[in-house]
Amino acid sequence: MVNKTLCTWTGYSPAYFAGKRLHEFLNMAGRIYYETHIAPLLRMQGFFNEFALDFVTESGERLPVLANAAEQRVAEGAVLSTRFVVIRAIDRRRYERELLDARSTATESLKSELETAELREQFIAVLGHDLRNPLAAISAGASILQRSDSLRDNELRVVDMIKTAVTRMSDLIDNVLDFARGRLGGGIALNRDANLPLEPVLEQVIDELRTSSPGRIIQTDIIIRERVNCDRMRIGQLVSNLIGNALTHGASDKPVRVGATTKGGMFELWVANEGDPIPEAAMEKLFEPFFRGDIRDSRQGLGLGLHIASQIAQAHGGKIAVTSTPAATRFVFTMPMHV
Amino acid sequence: MVFAHGFGCDQNMWRFVAPEFEKDFKTVLFDHVGAGGSDLSAYDRRKYSTLSGYAEDLIEIGRELGLNDAVFVGHSVSAMIGVLASLRAPGMFGQLILVGPSPRYIDDTDYAGGFSEQQIGELLEFLEENHMGWSAAMAPSIMGNPDRPELGEELTNSFCRTDPEIAKAFARVTFTSDNRNDLPKVSVPTLILQCKEDIIASTEVGEFVHRQIRGSKIVILDATGHCPNLSAPEEVVSAIEGFV
Repeated sequence: MVNKTLCTWTGYSPAYFAGKRLHEFLNMAGRIYYETHIAPLLRMQGFFNEFALDFVTESGERLPVLANAAEQRVAEGAVLSTRFVVIRAIDRRRYERELLDARSTATESLKSELETAELREQFIAVLGHDLRNPLAAISAGASILQRSDSLRDNELRVVDMIKTAVTRMSDLIDNVLDFARGRLGGGIALNRDANLPLEPVLEQVIDELRTSSPGRIIQTDIIIRERVNCDRMRIGQLVSNLIGNALTHGASDKPVRVGATTKGGMFELWVANEGDPIPEAAMEKLFEPFFRGDIRDSRQGLGLGLHIASQIAQAHGGKIAVTSTPAATRFVFTMPMHV
Repeated sequence: MVFAHGFGCDQNMWRFVAPEFEKDFKTVLFDHVGAGGSDLSAYDRRKYSTLSGYAEDLIEIGRELGLNDAVFVGHSVSAMIGVLASLRAPGMFGQLILVGPSPRYIDDTDYAGGFSEQQIGELLEFLEENHMGWSAAMAPSIMGNPDRPELGEELTNSFCRTDPEIAKAFARVTFTSDNRNDLPKVSVPTLILQCKEDIIASTEVGEFVHRQIRGSKIVILDATGHCPNLSAPEEVVSAIEGFV
């Protein structure tokens, strides 16, 4: 039994419907779906709602609909009749199909992007690794030259420059490798030790920076009375990156100040410099990879230092906060001392 | 007596049939991976890209339960899954009861499976347009809410739950399968229950299965449609009783 509306939509007369089964008006996909999903569910729970079906009209065209179905049963459960409410849904179904297609395209694109990204990062890792050997050779050669008796003073200064440049290149490669490995492996891997002292490592890192930046003053106020459960090498790397950043961007005639304390279960370390404040627009992007800002001199890095520092902070369950005013720019790293 | 559900549903589809055999048999019901309460994390795209993967699961169940000479009742695609399992684990099943079986759904030269390749393609596309039940991600948040018990009732289709992604893959595997060559190898007594008017597994296909399995019996049921275990359970029960 059908109403006039369904007759109008499908182009069949009421008499034509009489005695026929519902599936005769569906396309093949709809018939299969009816037999495998709709009919069983109607039998088991007595209703099935919000399903899509395709009718086939008298002229052979597809009529997409949404439908609800319910069985009328007698008390013992035998079926008296089944009622279908059918809503024409041409635009609705088309909209849904477009969403499905768009999702499918997006999923494909994402897969392809991820594959490309992984290849790129593997390449970076391999390149960085392969560059280390020739670099080590240069460094070893320069060390040999430094020990020579037959070099003049100005020639020895050239060898010093070679060594400094090698150190810089080595740092750049380390940063790149950290970045690539972190991305491939999902973050920086840590080697924590709660029993070793942190101060000596920080002092050594700061001394190396003093040596490689003659003419710059780095003041320290480091008092760490308790053991910090951390990866000392990584914290050293974080400090080095923060101080390096301060040396590059801070006023070259003013000192860089570094402090560290433990209090309230937290380890706190700060690096401050004077000079022009960080522009508002740059503040949001500071810790993004490859962000370099405006650099006045030729000492350009890759823009990975702060990013890797923030990754190390995160890996330790901590964070880096930054404030920047005309008076001073200050980076503060805090992390819980015990895991 | 092991009951295996077909595509589109879960073990609930045997609810009118299985209880009738509990007196005389130990009945075993299970959900294929992807249906009902099965562990969705056990789904492996490669394993379940052929019906053999599903047959392996059935054999694993049989081994775990120490089944020997058991009766297998399989509906729709599970009929073929049972055939494959019985060939691979001889002795596990002593009798096969195939409800609405089909070894291949797509027409071939000299074989009328019932569907063209294009129609199956349309079916697979069409399946995407129905939500096919709650995905595993959503169901727990809806079902597991002791503060709001009314939510459990509102959740429709708590029968025949299927994971949409797995269901689509299962549909593809089912409707593109071809196990005609496995039928002649069956050597245990087999009963075929065929509905009078089944568009998914026609009487022609049922007769084909009957001819290919030596010594098999076929009963044409008065019931129509593809799920006589739901639409005419008494007929199914009495046909099975007459065989085992």
